[in-house]
Amino acid sequence: MLKNLNSKHIQRFSYKYLPQFPISPNSPKLGFSRSQIANYRSNFPTTIMSSSKTIVLRSSDGETFEVDEAVAVESQTIKHMIEDGCADTSIPLPNVTSKILSKVIEYCKKHVETPNADEKVAEEDLKSFDADFVKVDQSTLFDLILAANYLNIKSLLDLTCQTVADMIKGKTPEEIRKTFNIKNDFTPEEEEEVRRENAWAFE
Amino acid sequence: MGSGFSSFLAISSTSPVSQETGLGDLPESVVGSVLVHLNPQDICRVASINRAFRGASSADFVWESKLPENYCSVFKWIFKNNDDKNDNVLVDLCKKDVYARLSRANSIDGDTKKVWLHKGTGKPCVSISFSGLSITGIDDRRYWSRISTEESRFGYVAYLQQTWWFEVDGEVEFPFPVGTYSLYFRLQLGRPGKQFGRRVCNREHIHGWDIKPVRFQLATSDGQQAISQCYLTKPGAWNLYHAGSFVVEDSKSPMKVKFSMTQIDCTHTKGGLCVDSVLICPK
Repeated sequence: MLKNLNSKHIQRFSYKYLPQFPISPNSPKLGFSRSQIANYRSNFPTTIMSSSKTIVLRSSDGETFEVDEAVAVESQTIKHMIEDGCADTSIPLPNVTSKILSKVIEYCKKHVETPNADEKVAEEDLKSFDADFVKVDQSTLFDLILAANYLNIKSLLDLTCQTVADMIKGKTPEEIRKTFNIKNDFTPEEEEEVRRENAWAFE
Repeated sequence: MGSGFSSFLAISSTSPVSQETGLGDLPESVVGSVLVHLNPQDICRVASINRAFRGASSADFVWESKLPENYCSVFKWIFKNNDDKNDNVLVDLCKKDVYARLSRANSIDGDTKKVWLHKGTGKPCVSISFSGLSITGIDDRRYWSRISTEESRFGYVAYLQQTWWFEVDGEVEFPFPVGTYSLYFRLQLGRPGKQFGRRVCNREHIHGWDIKPVRFQLATSDGQQAISQCYLTKPGAWNLYHAGSFVVEDSKSPMKVKFSMTQIDCTHTKGGLCVDSVLICPK
């Protein structure tokens, strides 16, 4: 039987996409062999698995998320995986937890859905969405940066990096270390070197 | 034994294992993406946070975003008087060092001009000393004299005692990056000096500037022009008088700018003016 498909996929099956072929009255059950499925796949690469063009993403903690392909390809990493044919079943994302992945998907959905027709209103709506999107705790923000970097989503990376940059603008290194709990791993000699090589910016 | 146990507890309570991602956990390349959004001074400041920040603050892609798009032409223009080996110098330098070099005030054209990168926009500013300008009658000691002063980048300013025909012309050619630039004349009514270590300004020769305004003119090699006039005011301090603005749309070829300041109404004399330099800076 259709061993590769689970009940989730069968719900989305659209039978009109399957080519008609003769079934002998003697064949024991209605079904497709593996080779038949492989043959169909080569002709209709996405229709059998995802006729409504969705992609399944799997987070590091095993949760799966089904997203429209248009949303998924906001990530250049996922886009290349699809183009290279690695997206048959689901795409594993071992570097992204489900908590972060659901946020990333929310961001991509919003940015794909916003129409370009009514420019001014849509732009302001998107801006306020972005402003609210980054109102999260520090740890989530940094996880979002790492995820945006790994998934190669330029607009999300710019948004989150700009937010962090605004937090560290104008602060002294000591203040930044305190605020973000960063350890100073310099030796005193290294510290002096760094001070010397950057002195030109303060002249 | 009891004290050992409690000290063990003390150790574990003061150093909790944190699963949360912190700023210090970001790899160098990702830190670089954050630094791109800071200005050069902040980038240099955060270099001393930790090793990852130090590495990220020297990353080429960070500084490339701060340099003007034609920084190669600007660099070659500034250092063109040196030998050919300077072409290789540009290749060997990392982008941060290129920025550091360009952000200093570099002298060009025999010390008559200085060029440096504007801190806010990263575009070049050009300052032309009076010695690089044509001043009518500058060599006539009845009218003009040269004064040594710390109040000028160049160490000297020209002082006008009195004249009928006041005219200062100049021209500059430089590969300006794309953008809008303003041209100013740096002038002071009154003769600067020092008395007992304090700054003084001698105003006895100031006259004639309130009768008729001074006329400024600006013209570029691609046909832009600006004409304006204004009265010179506020004696005793250095003022930047706006002569005009110009727009650079194509940074491939250097832009030539001609400018002048005149007051040639010969029905009255004028004097008591100090001319330091002309400044072109990005808007």
